[in-house]
Amino acid sequence: MTNDDYLELQLGDLLDRLAADGLAPGGGSAAALTVAFAARLVAMVSRCSTGWSEAPGVVAQANAIGERAVELAHTDGRVWEEALIALRDAEAKESADARRDFALEQKLEAAAAAPLEIASLGADAAALAALAGEHGEATYRADAAAAAALAAGGATAAAHLVRVNLGVRSADPRLARARASEEAARDVAARLLESHR
Amino acid sequence: MSGPSGFTDAELVRACRAGDADAWNELVERYSRYVYAIAVRGFRLSDEDAEDVFQDVFTRIYTRLDSLREDSALRPWIAQLTRRRCLDAIAARREVPAEELTEEGSTDLTEIEEAFEVREALTSLSGACQDILDRFFTRDQSYKTISDELEIPSGTIASRIARCLGRLRETLEGRNPADGGSRE
Repeated sequence: MTNDDYLELQLGDLLDRLAADGLAPGGGSAAALTVAFAARLVAMVSRCSTGWSEAPGVVAQANAIGERAVELAHTDGRVWEEALIALRDAEAKESADARRDFALEQKLEAAAAAPLEIASLGADAAALAALAGEHGEATYRADAAAAAALAAGGATAAAHLVRVNLGVRSADPRLARARASEEAARDVAARLLESHR
Repeated sequence: MSGPSGFTDAELVRACRAGDADAWNELVERYSRYVYAIAVRGFRLSDEDAEDVFQDVFTRIYTRLDSLREDSALRPWIAQLTRRRCLDAIAARREVPAEELTEEGSTDLTEIEEAFEVREALTSLSGACQDILDRFFTRDQSYKTISDELEIPSGTIASRIARCLGRLRETLEGRNPADGGSRE
């Protein structure tokens, strides 16, 4: 069922699918869709900020980030499911098999690549939320802060999945990239949320 | 539209008629994507059929350029030639006369026209604007990557892109056709 277009599903069906069977969509897809929500919220704030000259350009960027996030939700679902099947296959067979272990490692590498991109998109969505929070219509600035919080949540979840999928290789530069995206998004969210207390 | 030579379409047509080989190369370069887009995206032709259409359209342009009545109407003329040749290709596949086919079922060509107009407008922006828009919207680069590669502060990327989009919009709306002075 992972090939379904999430945008074509009713929201209730998508949520049921998330809760269903341990296959996709999972945490990575949920993180990506959370980033998509954040980006679309930034688009809304910007579109409503008629006195802000850069608003149309921010709307275009927010929409682009939202579309990429939905694509990544699909990609993550697909590669994660493939990795999960390979992992179960490896666990079911007790004897060592170098070729199978290599294939599994490749699947896990692929499963880490998608959340890495999701974390990066989360940081970008948060950066746009910061702009909207600073220049957007005052009435909607709380929504910009909410968008930043969602983006940070998506980035944090995605960075966690990168860590898990890459295992114990703490020196891997992808971990540093994921962590940097997560921290950037969280810093923006903390700043915006604090300014709206 | 202008390209590397700075020629408008009308100037390009005149240079081609005068036998300027560089002008011919520029005409092909300027319109090759356009012809392919109509064939592949508009009429959903196979790569093989699209290649045939491409060859045939540019051969016809070369041999019939003198029949173009309005030099500035190069693009609509190329569009018409391409649409007709696409219908011929479809008719040949289905073994029916091309006159019996309509453009029904083909993708709305307006979208292709719009995409081409945006591409034209992009060429009027500064190199820096073209670069940053290409990086974000075409190559899907993150703000961090753009910041690292262009060595500009990460926090300014989204605003720079927004301003470049603003200039692109002005160009498309004809309010600011000569966007040559920007340092963005």
